Amino acid sequence: MSLRMSVGTLTFESPIILASGTCNFGRELSEYISFSRIGGICSKGLTLSPRLGNPGCRVAETPSGMLNSVGLQNPGIDYFLQNDLDFMSSLSTRVIVNVAGHDPDDYVRMTERLNDHSDQIDILELNLSCPNVKEGCMIIGSSPKEIFNLVALVRSITSIPLWVKLTPNVTSIADTALAAQEGGADAVVAINTLLGMAIDIRSARPILQNNTGGLSGPAIKPIALRMVNECSRVLSIPVVGCGGIMNYKDVLEFLIAGASLVEIGTATMVHPTTPECIINDLEKYTAENHIESLSDIVGTLKLWGV
Amino acid sequence: MKKEHRAELIDNKSMNSDSSLLVFRCPEIAEESRPGQFVNVSCSKFLKRPFGVNDTDSINGTFSIGVREVGEGSAEIRSLEPGALVDVLGPLGNYFPLENAKKLIMVGGGTGVYPLHFALKEARKANVQTIYICGFRCVSDSCLVDECEAFSDRFMITSDTGDVGIRGTVMDALYRLNENEYNDATVLSVGPEIMMKNVSQWAENIGLDCFVSLERRMACGIGMCLVCTCKIKTKNHDDLYENKRCCADGPIFNSREVVW
Repeated sequence: MSLRMSVGTLTFESPIILASGTCNFGRELSEYISFSRIGGICSKGLTLSPRLGNPGCRVAETPSGMLNSVGLQNPGIDYFLQNDLDFMSSLSTRVIVNVAGHDPDDYVRMTERLNDHSDQIDILELNLSCPNVKEGCMIIGSSPKEIFNLVALVRSITSIPLWVKLTPNVTSIADTALAAQEGGADAVVAINTLLGMAIDIRSARPILQNNTGGLSGPAIKPIALRMVNECSRVLSIPVVGCGGIMNYKDVLEFLIAGASLVEIGTATMVHPTTPECIINDLEKYTAENHIESLSDIVGTLKLWGV
Repeated sequence: MKKEHRAELIDNKSMNSDSSLLVFRCPEIAEESRPGQFVNVSCSKFLKRPFGVNDTDSINGTFSIGVREVGEGSAEIRSLEPGALVDVLGPLGNYFPLENAKKLIMVGGGTGVYPLHFALKEARKANVQTIYICGFRCVSDSCLVDECEAFSDRFMITSDTGDVGIRGTVMDALYRLNENEYNDATVLSVGPEIMMKNVSQWAENIGLDCFVSLERRMACGIGMCLVCTCKIKTKNHDDLYENKRCCADGPIFNSREVVW
């Protein structure tokens, strides 16, 4: 039984994609799992110039999840293209390059560089949702108008399939998702982390030196499911679900809600073998329940009439 | 492929007011661990907790860790009873460069003595001469005193209160060493960051290499998530630094590279 999924013009060995920022460029995880049945891997969020990320404590554990304030520490896109892309391409899975810019010009310049390597890149994921930087990203991703302008701009200069990773820190994710679709995105990814805070009661200071960080893990799964469903109901392009997936049942919930693929991240930090375990369990589940293709259950949610 | 292990707790002994020595059965970790490395241990909280390896016994397939209570997760692990099963990832991180050391001066503070105990035992096996200095707040905080005294060639203990050993800090013990004693030595230090900083300044001033074990809040433990970074000087640029991963590039760093 295969877990293969077709989304847009691409096929994926399974619906399981490794989320950006949770697996670096795949080297560390490749010592623990085989990538042959993984649907794809998203690179660490890349910027035009190298970034050190935020100072001080960058992680705080919270009930059923964690906050991070890494702040896009990365070696810069040129270093990535020279030193990491070949490794990602060698993993025999879809290669998704996540880019994060200060402004539209950053996204354009990075896309131009990626165009020169389009034979090695399956998808360009526009990060319009990192909550840990002061410019670009979530600032752009909070405004449907800016999303539309940026996606249309990038769309006009590349033929690489384009995913837009959305932030949940907005009033209406349906509006931002629609803006991405109208701009020419091939899919939206929902959701990135929720902006949050953890406080040390003795010092009366936030645990994170950045004061705030992005909340991930099972704590955000209900929010992610609701948002994936909202997006899938208004869009004609596919939705990639993301947020708190820990096991195969969570994956099934996201597919039923309307996701064609899912990204997992925080679960891999808890157990590095989680992606393979989920795939094994999905194979077992589809065999036992005589499900021919997982795509048959995408968007099968039956809402109550209220 | 590396994998996550299921380990059974064999023994749990309280060592002082806030820490215990836990022995687990896990032949792979017992076989592979080297002094300075750590393991990530599961608890009912979301993330695993990192602990330096204190000892291994490859014949019985066991390893031990010192667990200090710093929060709910470590308190829960400290209170585990023999027979308990935990998920363990490891051994993780790099290790002390013991191979070429002619002589070792080890300086531990508080629960920093646990990983140094492992280094002491390995040094004894390799016939490397050792000076071991441990510092505590008071006698009731002290731990592994007899074990470490037995494995070291010279042993000194200090306490803030003076109720055991030299009254003062580990620095007061280091200042008592003469040139013959510290010449050609490599220094290893594990403990509070301010102590490691002072120890490394002492070592650097007299031209000794010093290796310290840094500690950060971690998540994945294997170098993917970049939350546990330490400021490390860029090679050949003393005024520039990079954020290195405590879990994967460390936890052991040459003190000359550390931006304190």
